[in-house]
Amino acid sequence: MSASTHSNWRVAARRVATYAAFCCLLFWVGFPVYYMLITSFMDPPELGLKPPHWIPQEPTIENYREVIIGQTGQRGDYGTTTEFSRMMPALLNSTFVSVSVVLLNLLIGGMAAYAFSRFDFRFSRFAYLGVLMTRVLPALSLIVPLFIILRKLKLINTLWALIFTYTIFILPLTIWILREYFDTLARDIEEMALIDGATRWQAFRMVVAPLAIPGLIAVGVMSFMEAWSEFFFALTLTNSLTYPPLLMSFRNLHQVNWNALAAATTIGVLPPVIVAFVFQRYLVRGLSEGAVKG
Amino acid sequence: MAAVRARKTSAQERQHWDRKWIPYVLLAPAIITIVVVILSPLVTTIYYSFSNIDLIRDRTTFIGFDNYVELFTSRLFWKAVEINLKFAAIVVVVPTLMGLFFAVLLVEDFVGRGLGRTLLILPWALPWIVIGLLWNWVVHSQFGALNGLLYSLGLIDKYIPFMADENWALVFTAMASAWRQTSFSAILLLAALQTIPEDLYDAAKVDGAGMRARFRFITIAWIRPTLTIVLLYNIVLGFLQFDAVWIMTQGGPGDATMLISVLLYRYTFINFDLGMGAAVSNVLGLITMGVGLIFVRLTYRSQSTYS
Repeated sequence: MSASTHSNWRVAARRVATYAAFCCLLFWVGFPVYYMLITSFMDPPELGLKPPHWIPQEPTIENYREVIIGQTGQRGDYGTTTEFSRMMPALLNSTFVSVSVVLLNLLIGGMAAYAFSRFDFRFSRFAYLGVLMTRVLPALSLIVPLFIILRKLKLINTLWALIFTYTIFILPLTIWILREYFDTLARDIEEMALIDGATRWQAFRMVVAPLAIPGLIAVGVMSFMEAWSEFFFALTLTNSLTYPPLLMSFRNLHQVNWNALAAATTIGVLPPVIVAFVFQRYLVRGLSEGAVKG
Repeated sequence: MAAVRARKTSAQERQHWDRKWIPYVLLAPAIITIVVVILSPLVTTIYYSFSNIDLIRDRTTFIGFDNYVELFTSRLFWKAVEINLKFAAIVVVVPTLMGLFFAVLLVEDFVGRGLGRTLLILPWALPWIVIGLLWNWVVHSQFGALNGLLYSLGLIDKYIPFMADENWALVFTAMASAWRQTSFSAILLLAALQTIPEDLYDAAKVDGAGMRARFRFITIAWIRPTLTIVLLYNIVLGFLQFDAVWIMTQGGPGDATMLISVLLYRYTFINFDLGMGAAVSNVLGLITMGVGLIFVRLTYRSQSTYS
């Protein structure tokens, strides 16, 4: 009797502790995001209130409308600027860059990973270690020579500068994860196909590629997020062509309309957030394999 | 993997596997671009750090260790190091502990676990620049969420200009970084926790191990490799963070959040002193390469124990 009350009490205590911890999680993750969201649905006077409204009293989608048509400050509130008209082109540019990076990365990285996984050749171990080492180099520190190279190639302030750089900086991680992935795919089936007279390309396309799809998705998603989010190269190699540096320039406006900024931020994070939620399982797997197994 | 590779292949298979040129063709695009875009700038940066670069007259003179001597004797650099160490301490300790806390929570079976796991992805999915902005809203002196919350609760009667204060500025830029790294750490640790076989706990219970003992000798012992990796990632980020700090403070107020990376940016893009910028780069590079080397060693060792 006393033992069972004791254990009942412990179960209840554990439950309370669990939900208390869960509330911490909700608050920690949710609070900053929630505040940005409600800001984006308020008008500037409401944002200035003390104490703040935790739920917008007169929610408005005016901020979103203004950002999308590129004209903020029509209402004569704060911030009369046309800077926001660069928003939609920047989102298009970001999309183009990210999709190109994903495709190029999968192609180049996939080929290299397959070579490392299936072939024993001279310098293979050396080359692989070399590739891995580049992963720990701080991209930040290579910017000056990189800038000079890209200027010689006349690529400064073009989207290609970003596509080129992002793809290459993501390659080591891609090769790392995909090589691991190819290694886990049984080589036997592939060899059988080869014995049966399939060419290597046929064996790859019909046996390896279908099995490798989850790994390819994980890598594709990760490179999409990276390309969409990268800020430093975009800031230094281009004149705010893509979304992250443009956000920075909004922030630096003399009189920024914070509500419009909140709306612009929300619109711009939708693609990576949606991609992350949709491909959650692949992402977690890719992330932990890339980080842990190496 | 090694076993597969060591196995002798039959003559017929060898015909297919020994096309010597195939791997080189497959590797060529990756290797060439990596050499052009990563390795050649690396060599150039090392060379620049030993040079004085006169941008106006377009002249580069070799000056030996002068840049490094100037750097290591400047007060600014040591100030940046000190600030960066404090920053990194927060970015290592907070995410690792909170990440572990959330990971342990999310292996529990309870209503809301799915929601919790999904929400965990959110900070990780946001660009650093957006994280900087989000935290800007949190700490803003006129309409910040934190000020609003404290005011609503009656804890303050006047909004605090957090980012005008040197200490708060450093703490909150570090917290912004910690916010995302907490998610990253929790995701990795959760994945590791999920691989612990349940019967380990049952066996320990039979042996009379208490909750604390089970946590220490089973949970922590099992996820130790992941915990190490998480720590290393957080250390590296503590030294490489730039985006979130740049959008929040640009190194200010004064020099209060001048990380080494911010110093690098100032030398290179504000003073246009490329030689000094390159020297700072290399110091930063050595720090992260050191951590990275430990990382590669550890993962290689754990890999060889798998096969």
